[in-house]
Amino acid sequence: MSKFKKKGNKDIPGVNTSALPDIIFMLLFFFMVATTMKEVDMQVDVVKPVADQAIELEDKDNVDFIYIGYPMDASQGTEPRIQLDDMLAPDYTFVSDWKQMKAREGKTPFDIVTSLKVHKDVGMRIVSNVKEELREIDAIKINYSADQRD
Amino acid sequence: MAKRNIGEINAGSMADIAFLLLIFFLVTTTMEVDAGIARNLPLKQDRIIDIPPVTEPDVLEISVNSKDELFVEDQRIQISELEEVSRSFYTINANGIVVDPTMPEHDLISLAQCQQKINYFQHELSLHPHNKIMARKLQKWEQKKSICQLYSSQSFYEISTMAIVKIDNQANTSFGIYIQIQNILKKVVNDLRQEKCTELGWGNYHELNEHTKQGKERLKQLRILVPERIIESKIEQ
Repeated sequence: MSKFKKKGNKDIPGVNTSALPDIIFMLLFFFMVATTMKEVDMQVDVVKPVADQAIELEDKDNVDFIYIGYPMDASQGTEPRIQLDDMLAPDYTFVSDWKQMKAREGKTPFDIVTSLKVHKDVGMRIVSNVKEELREIDAIKINYSADQRD
Repeated sequence: MAKRNIGEINAGSMADIAFLLLIFFLVTTTMEVDAGIARNLPLKQDRIIDIPPVTEPDVLEISVNSKDELFVEDQRIQISELEEVSRSFYTINANGIVVDPTMPEHDLISLAQCQQKINYFQHELSLHPHNKIMARKLQKWEQKKSICQLYSSQSFYEISTMAIVKIDNQANTSFGIYIQIQNILKKVVNDLRQEKCTELGWGNYHELNEHTKQGKERLKQLRILVPERIIESKIEQ
């Protein structure tokens, strides 16, 4: 003789999913805002050095990226190589032409920062050669890419 | 006219669409922030108008060999010691007294001296209005004058204007150690500028904004108080 008599429908009511789109949209907007699209397909492996004084790069539209690291494709050898956009450059002398080709309207190479993303084990010769090339065309604003870690 | 009854829109597939977009952004997202150490390369040799002669105590020579071993003025040191060494490069003689003769001297810059220089360069400029070197020097002295006015003594000690840090690399020196050196040099300069900011009641150095008139002026003054001059020798082919 139960005191609390179960009455009526014993079916579990369906979960109300009308708020689901809202939740999903919220997540969606978060990722949309936080997203930066990958700029290039990496042809070289770059493990960035760590530097606690590194500051965030501003105005990324006005930055050119040069990648220097070890080729991922084994047929390209094991020596460090320079990647410009999606291509591996045959050698460093291509840097200045590439940089000039990338010049935006109304701006000189001097105005556009060049970010060097270099693998931490790469020798300084190749870096030095690239810097010399950039110097030749007055592209003297450099940013050495590094991971911030405190 | 009879009012037509508009049926409810079925929002059931909304979640599916949102999911699809969500997954797309999830996949393409890279959360990494691009950070780095900003530096300016020296201008091409033929663009430099006046190269001042550099004397020995004014140069802090840091060299790294191909085994990533560090030498300062030909003495082997550990990377952990570099911060102290480069700090003393800026500060050891900071009060005008030469404590360490191998480090750069500091000169007392007074308001009267600034005014005298300004008058001189203004006069020169009126004779040669297109002389860029003169114009730049005039600007420098005007900034120094504004720094004098910040202090109650109407003067300040300036590190030798030729004080320079020189980094020597070998072909096989790793980029990693080079960045560590750059990082330490940056840290020393940032710390010293922060100290100046605190002294002058400007608050946080990193919060000075280059886009405001006051912030820009203060950053310029800090660049004179704690200059950051780095040169690198070319690696022989």
